[in-house]
Amino acid sequence: MPEGALEGTKIVELGRLVSAPYCAKLFADYGADVVKVEPPRTGDLARHWGPFPNDAPHIEKSGLFFYLNTNKRGATLDVSTPAGRDLFLKLIADADVVIENNAPQQMRDWGLDYPSLAKVNPNLVMISITAYGQTGPYADWNGYDLNAFHLSGTSSRYCGRPGETPLEHGTFSAEFFGATAGAAWGLAAVVGRDLVGGGQHVDVSCAEAIAATFVGAQNIGGYAQDDHFEKRTGVGMPLGAPATILPCRDGHVWMLALEAGQWNGLAEVMGNPDWMQLEMFQDMFVRAQNADAMYPLIEQWTAEHDKQEIMDRCQAAGVPVTAVYTVGEAAEAPHLKERGYITELDHPEFGSVRTLGAPFKLPESPGGPTSAAPTLGQHNDEIYGGLGLSAKEITDLAEKGVI
Amino acid sequence: MPNSLPLGGIRVANFGWVWAGPVVGQTLGFLGAEVYKVESNARIDLNRMLPPFAEGEPGPDRSLQNHAGWAGNGSITLNLKTDEARELALQFVATCDVVIENFGPGAMANLKLSYEELRKVKPDIVMLSMPAAGLDGPLKDIRTYGLSLTSITGLDSITGYPGGPPIPVENAFADPYNGIMGAFAVLVALRYRSRTGKGQHIDYSQQEGVMQMVGPAFMDYVLNGRSGGPIGNKHPLAAAAPHGVFPCKGDDRWISIAVVTGAEWNGLVAGMDNPGWVSEFADAASRVENVDALHERIAAWTEGFDDYELANRLQGHGVAATPVLNVADLLNDPHYKDRGTFIEVMHPLGFKETIYGAYVKTSATEANVSPGPALGQDNDYVFKELLGLSAERYEQLKADEIIH
Repeated sequence: MPEGALEGTKIVELGRLVSAPYCAKLFADYGADVVKVEPPRTGDLARHWGPFPNDAPHIEKSGLFFYLNTNKRGATLDVSTPAGRDLFLKLIADADVVIENNAPQQMRDWGLDYPSLAKVNPNLVMISITAYGQTGPYADWNGYDLNAFHLSGTSSRYCGRPGETPLEHGTFSAEFFGATAGAAWGLAAVVGRDLVGGGQHVDVSCAEAIAATFVGAQNIGGYAQDDHFEKRTGVGMPLGAPATILPCRDGHVWMLALEAGQWNGLAEVMGNPDWMQLEMFQDMFVRAQNADAMYPLIEQWTAEHDKQEIMDRCQAAGVPVTAVYTVGEAAEAPHLKERGYITELDHPEFGSVRTLGAPFKLPESPGGPTSAAPTLGQHNDEIYGGLGLSAKEITDLAEKGVI
Repeated sequence: MPNSLPLGGIRVANFGWVWAGPVVGQTLGFLGAEVYKVESNARIDLNRMLPPFAEGEPGPDRSLQNHAGWAGNGSITLNLKTDEARELALQFVATCDVVIENFGPGAMANLKLSYEELRKVKPDIVMLSMPAAGLDGPLKDIRTYGLSLTSITGLDSITGYPGGPPIPVENAFADPYNGIMGAFAVLVALRYRSRTGKGQHIDYSQQEGVMQMVGPAFMDYVLNGRSGGPIGNKHPLAAAAPHGVFPCKGDDRWISIAVVTGAEWNGLVAGMDNPGWVSEFADAASRVENVDALHERIAAWTEGFDDYELANRLQGHGVAATPVLNVADLLNDPHYKDRGTFIEVMHPLGFKETIYGAYVKTSATEANVSPGPALGQDNDYVFKELLGLSAERYEQLKADEIIH
């Protein structure tokens, strides 16, 4: 088997829930050696969030934890104790990267803030991923994914009906976004360490990364110049049509036919109904102005057809319509199976379980999960033994509750 | 004197267009790589034509959102429909470490710029291809837009109001997400190259990249066969409550509140001045089970407050709460001001505009946020200095609309 692209890169993760664990997973799935450090007994909070088989809580059976912690080795350590802190400093002494998402004040209280770690290992790249970041007036605010997301401007601008509640996607999208940004900037800091002259602290605010690159990118220049801004409309594209999600016989489709060729292709697929020739529907902007008249007419047709059929026939006619897959439909999609995106791992408690594969494929050094998430403290002996601790010392620390 | 940037000495040819591809180049550029968009006046990228424009004057070098999304990239112009331009592109690639593109599969081959061709001129080139659904498989030629791509990942199916239809996100969240992940992919391959001397062709399916966000719901499907509809702002795994967005005083003002721990619940109760009804929701299980009733109670309380004031008040009790910001708030918010999230820059053509800067902060290096780019702004440097064309030949190629 070819070796992973990041083989030889040593990473210590002091993370919980989604952002830091996903960031560390990205490194682990491409071959880095990642040691995940969890508090003894309770472990990462993700272990308590499920989803559990049959909704029966079990510390080793969280699907969230399983998904986010593949290819890692696991150790338990109470870093709030002096002995635990010492061990953590030993762990990071020759590491390339630390990835964490604790509150900045928490890291200072533990004596594990960047200046403290850099003193031990000046080459260390520390990736901190929090809702708001390490600096600024909200740095010490409490925050979860939901809070970071709604501070990014995304929901007010782009998701929800006017006057109704602004919406997050139905997942932890701010934490995934921040994790990805941390991985890119953090790996750059590792790649360029010699040029820079040592390690550094990479400070990710999940809210800021989205506020900048998504909402800011499209809106901030216009607002700064013209003092005018837009809000969510509940429609996919308010200025061009058709461009939104419509119901069909067995669910929904993402209906898109903006350019003339696409509109004509859609007409062909729909059997060339007379109304599509009307002047009021002859260009995407005019159609948007007459959207209230147009969408019900398209819906009459979509209501009689299934999403996959609509997608297949439209795509064949050059129209960029897609099915709105449920999660289950996406999981079973032949395309993803054929590409090997859905993979299967053995886990001591679950048995064989499917999970998602690598986000991108590297032919020379394939990525993706190959070993399941660690059980709590699974690799304590080998990791602490590797630091030179004797079996007796390890047992003593376990008895004291440090590991 | 700032430190050298981490990606100094890395040169990138960015054939990426619209949004995702340019963000790959932007991220590498902010981190010190020398990045050039390869584009052409013969077929101007639509992204350059999107309003609003600088000073209200339309033009391919005046689109404000284009400059924000593409900052960090330079620009050279080549009309790749001509053989001579393709030859120049290959000469340029021979000086590069990385090539980026986000066309459909086969488009680069049609330009005679496939990975195999590029490898002939630069054996260890790292090429990132990021088509919608990857380089192979039954859907490889699928047509989607950035904002509808998420429909084939399952993400759209869980976004919306509980019990209602999916609500579309009105812009392509997937584009910057995949752009940043694409930069990570390039760096992974560069790390491999530095150890082994080998380049490679990265197959980046935007569908698969953004579907990573669906992992938690995917696991519920795998473990329990559940594949539900939209969940609003509720906790994605129904593991905590309250977890929602609640109305505040004023037009379209809201606050987000997420309570996970017992201490946070006690903080919220104290922040609300201990209303009697909280006894109905004393433990975490009852809060999750009766989440709708709980949210109604909280909404009735929040609507009398200013969103910022309430967030401050609840944070004072240790509760995770933030105002829900609109676009104007982003520019005026003290936190983003303090972090320098948005910056005013001078475009190379001489007007001021506001874009975003380093969207991640680094302690030892300062991001290189070059604004723009103006179409072809780097032609002189790349063709004359880097490729060594004579002034005469360069002018001729411009006159012949090959460098164009």
